[in-house]
Amino acid sequence: MMRRSPSRTAGRAGLVALALCAVLPGAGPALAQAPEAAQGAATEPNREAAAREATWASIRPDLFPGKAIADAGAIVQLDAPGRAEDAALVPITIQLALPAGDPRTLKAVTLVVDENPAPMAGRFTLAEGTRDFSLSLRVRVNSYSFVRAVAETSDGALLMTKAYVKAAGGCSAPATKDTADSIAHVGEMRFRSFAATGRPEAQVQIRHPNFSGLQIDPETRGYTPAWFVREVEVKQGEKLIFAMEGGISISEDPTFRFSYTPSSDQVSVRAEDTEGKVFTRTFPGGGS
Amino acid sequence: MTPGGAATAAVGGIARAALAAFCVVACLSISIAAAEEAPPEPADYRLEAYRAPTPATLAGAKVLDTDAAAELWRAGTATFIDVLPRPPRPAGLPAGTVWRDPPHDSIPGAMWLPNVGFGALNADTEAYFRAGLDAASRGDVNAPLVIFCQRQCWMSWNAAKRALEDGYRNVAWFPEGTDGWSQAGLPLVPATPRP
Repeated sequence: MMRRSPSRTAGRAGLVALALCAVLPGAGPALAQAPEAAQGAATEPNREAAAREATWASIRPDLFPGKAIADAGAIVQLDAPGRAEDAALVPITIQLALPAGDPRTLKAVTLVVDENPAPMAGRFTLAEGTRDFSLSLRVRVNSYSFVRAVAETSDGALLMTKAYVKAAGGCSAPATKDTADSIAHVGEMRFRSFAATGRPEAQVQIRHPNFSGLQIDPETRGYTPAWFVREVEVKQGEKLIFAMEGGISISEDPTFRFSYTPSSDQVSVRAEDTEGKVFTRTFPGGGS
Repeated sequence: MTPGGAATAAVGGIARAALAAFCVVACLSISIAAAEEAPPEPADYRLEAYRAPTPATLAGAKVLDTDAAAELWRAGTATFIDVLPRPPRPAGLPAGTVWRDPPHDSIPGAMWLPNVGFGALNADTEAYFRAGLDAASRGDVNAPLVIFCQRQCWMSWNAAKRALEDGYRNVAWFPEGTDGWSQAGLPLVPATPRP
């Protein structure tokens, strides 16, 4: 199912080169850091770090207005590659766990990619009473960036963990043959439970090109209009597992792997894209 | 719990890893390789992989090093045109989407015309480029223009070539761009694209 055919890989070889360039926007700093050893000034990394935190300072009031954000410590763990293989498919895992005795529950977690022009990659609302949750997905990273997971607890506190990802061009990487395939099969879904392998997890994939609006269309030589899955809701029976409000940063064919314990309840998925198209599917709870 | 679960499922194997390795190496070696070997001028526009070593020349244009560009800038006789690309905010984003244009610092007084350095332009971008040049030159095809973006960026080469083909006769290409400029200790200021 998760075909990543050689054609895509080969296609992307050229694309990565283009992407590296198409990232020029705001790439002043990004370029300075690409050849890490090149411009050897010792102050460069510091200036870089300062610039990166300045980005966060500029977007934070819009993303979390009027809220204090504390260091999450072990409650929020964020797993992201230091250097991404493919900036358009950067794997991210968020693991949330409240310590024993903590009376709170988890309401939501927001994934932020600071340097993406629309920095909020997705906000994930969790089921009532959630105390621990794991979520993996793939995102686009447009230039070297902090990635942040900000969890919201039932008392309204915000807890953040961040990681630095070296990747560039993810938002502008052009469409591939697989993109055409995603369009042909738009809205089709797959569900898989990993219970049989001993992992209390499941995965949902929604076929969708998830155009960021930053990709150049070689035919029109203009930008391909943004068209992406903006809402996803995954339920087990009547109970919510998670709901997502997503932006341009979620990779093509949005795929989510999440904490899941199989039951006889069916799993239903509802997705809505920016054109208002609604896609729904129901799967047997034990997987397909 | 395997954090790599989704990644493993998503990504297919060795070819891809090799590609990634290649890309990393290619990136890292850009600055080293560039100084040594400038590629020959192509006959036509560069259509991809813009971020790569550029030719030493552009037929019909002067090529300025940073000192020469700074001298022209101090004299105030030429219009500097920055062609660093930046995608516009897409239409149709959900209401309330937080959007932040990546900031860009450019040469003081420069006109920023983003996205005009791609190898092929659509009619809108072509018109935008022409209008920008017309304003920069005040309609005088002999007005001196200095076209730049960043070091090892074909976008400035393309845009300068395009200006020549549009009939401008006093076009200078400044391949070191804002990188050479800032490394020479010259000032940069926050820029906004020409509307």
